[in-house]
Amino acid sequence: MKSKADKKDLTRRLAEIVGDDAVLTDEQELVVYECDAYTLQKNLPTAVVLPKSAREVAAIVRLCADLDLPIIPRGAGTSLSGAVLAVDGGVMIALTRMNRVLNVDPRNRRALVEAGCVNAWITRDAEKHGLFYAPDPSSQPACTIGGNIATNSGGPHTLKNGVTTNHVLGYEMVLPDGTVEWLGVEPNGGEEVGGYDLRGAGIGSEGMFGVVTRALVRLSKTPPAFKTFLGVFASVEQASRAVSDIIAAGIVPAALEMMDQLITQALEEAYRFGFPLDAGAVLIVELDGLANGVEQQARQVDEICRQNKASEVRLARDDAERAALWKCRKRAFGAIGRLSPNYVTQDGVVPRGKLPEIMRFIRTVSERHDLRIPNVFHAGDGNIHPLILYDERDPAQVKRALQAGDDILGKCIELGGSVTGEHGIGAEKIDFMSRQFTRDDLEAMQQLRRVFDPEKRCNPHKMFPGAKRCAEFTQKKQVAA
Amino acid sequence: MTLKPCTISELQALLTRSRGVDAVSLDAVADLIEHVPGDMTATVQAGMRLADFQARLAKVGQWLPVDPPEPETVTIGSLLADNLSGPRRFGCGTIRDWLIGLAVVLPDGTLIRNGGRVVKNVAGFDLCRLFVGARDTLGIIVEATFKLLPLPEADACLAKPCDSLGQAEELLEKIWTSELQPSVLDLHRIDGGPLTLVIGFAGPSADVEAQSEVATGLRFAGGASLDYDARFRRTTPHFPSVAPADLASTLRTLGDESFVARAGNGVIYHPSAEPPKLPSPELQKRVKEMFDPEGVISG
Repeated sequence: MKSKADKKDLTRRLAEIVGDDAVLTDEQELVVYECDAYTLQKNLPTAVVLPKSAREVAAIVRLCADLDLPIIPRGAGTSLSGAVLAVDGGVMIALTRMNRVLNVDPRNRRALVEAGCVNAWITRDAEKHGLFYAPDPSSQPACTIGGNIATNSGGPHTLKNGVTTNHVLGYEMVLPDGTVEWLGVEPNGGEEVGGYDLRGAGIGSEGMFGVVTRALVRLSKTPPAFKTFLGVFASVEQASRAVSDIIAAGIVPAALEMMDQLITQALEEAYRFGFPLDAGAVLIVELDGLANGVEQQARQVDEICRQNKASEVRLARDDAERAALWKCRKRAFGAIGRLSPNYVTQDGVVPRGKLPEIMRFIRTVSERHDLRIPNVFHAGDGNIHPLILYDERDPAQVKRALQAGDDILGKCIELGGSVTGEHGIGAEKIDFMSRQFTRDDLEAMQQLRRVFDPEKRCNPHKMFPGAKRCAEFTQKKQVAA
Repeated sequence: MTLKPCTISELQALLTRSRGVDAVSLDAVADLIEHVPGDMTATVQAGMRLADFQARLAKVGQWLPVDPPEPETVTIGSLLADNLSGPRRFGCGTIRDWLIGLAVVLPDGTLIRNGGRVVKNVAGFDLCRLFVGARDTLGIIVEATFKLLPLPEADACLAKPCDSLGQAEELLEKIWTSELQPSVLDLHRIDGGPLTLVIGFAGPSADVEAQSEVATGLRFAGGASLDYDARFRRTTPHFPSVAPADLASTLRTLGDESFVARAGNGVIYHPSAEPPKLPSPELQKRVKEMFDPEGVISG
């Protein structure tokens, strides 16, 4: 989209498909869509369209194919890696008006939903049948199922329940040439699907294979019993030893989350849950399942925490207290606003046994760059979330924050892990791909991409080294340098 | 043509000068590379037999939660390439759910890796899922990393002969809406034998005992075996599936034919089953052309 006249023409043709009220092209309106929850890079899309049906999506995609314009699928914009950034302009297809739960089928334990359906709404509609949708990213009150499919989202309960790819049976996708395909299990169909697993291949493809319009998800039976513990430890090392011992005892908790002192203090100030302010680390252990087994494992967990010198092991009294605890945990990032004007978070992964080592490393990074780095993480999965605090008004701090993130992710690779467990590569972590994978590994991924999008027009300039960057980011980098 | 390389690099070399390969034997590439009990992960070469792998894991009380027939002959490679599963599929899912990393030799001889050795990883596209069930037509799986589980403290199977499909259907409904969390839920009728519903439980012994008691109340008898699965499935190359709610009505159309059904999943094994239809044929074709443009591997 180079000229104004082109833009006028584009606006008109998009409006013919979706109506005037569903096309945004004014700069003031577009600003909302200049970035997602990763704010270090920003750029305006050429236009944003808000379709109401898969038919409209297909028509938009075909128009963009004719005009050779990039398309950028977008859910709620909660991505933390710049996955929905319009790096080089293009038409952003926002699925937020396609947000219905179309059908909850308790007999088959499935739900059919539109791509813009908010994650938490599925469980809201399913729980009266004693069912729930398992993947529970912290952004679940806002993030959409389409976005979850794009990033193969996880959440605190993935340790036992798995991630999005384990729970999305099938989905409808508009390919970049405008054709519509249903990948995986069809609504009312059986779970054995012939041929290659295109469904699985597309989950986690970060919106680069096409626009998901509907999804068929698996619902799980709500466990009849829960026990949620809060273990208070003097140090992250002690809490980590408790984690190892729980796993070694053959227990797979539903969740195993750790928070360090800086985070618990910020959370306490923000939400007044009753976290101890002097604890080096707080461990949340949630067990779920049938009543007898949960009772049996609860005794073991309690004992293991005490053996590892927990100063306190507190059991959530009831569902309300358990809900309050999870609300705090899932709003941890939000509480950081009290500590610092800006933060950048990483979500690297290390083998679970290397957690104490990566935590020690993060402490040295924090000291070396003179930046505070609180930690809240999925200890059971080895998935860390260091929050690097900085002030964007100070260019030197911005530079140090970026370097600190770089150091930490480099260490994750060195320890045999991954640079991202949940957030995705997006625009943010492109440079790490060639550090984690060989050129051949990356070429194989590109081959798969060409199957779906030979012209590389769908959510371009993401994931792979050599991609274009936003002008603004370059400027910022220069400032930082 | 069958290739029998002694090493992964020999396989790479063989593929670069072959056409029409229809099988690769990796009997010589069968080492356990790494098992980290504390991480509940293990990396193993594709030629290792599943039973041998499970035996190694069992030494520290862990297992890979799949139970296809004949684990003594099934290799890790065929487990993945053919996406094999058994009766515990209802409780444990399929091998796709447990795979976290792969090494594959592509048809042009290139060795690639995808995923990794950590249980949570979204860096890059997910080729792991694509290669599971691809029957080695896109490349030869040479090594895999899995998430593992602790071996259940207890495991019990119970069976109940049913007078009719209607009775079996009624019982299934009862189980489905109860608090029971079976790991196995099968229905079978083999060679004129009785129609039999099989239920299995696994986990903490207190749970297995309590649930077995409930099942006994529904007139299930304990001490049942799952051997029928391996015996019967030798004769059933294909298996259709339906939404679980449509199981009984589908079974009625089989008349007197023998079958083993994963009642909880809606998967039915029976001798006259046709191969499933191929969805998205254009995309499927493109995948094969993209990964094997020269047709090095048949199929």
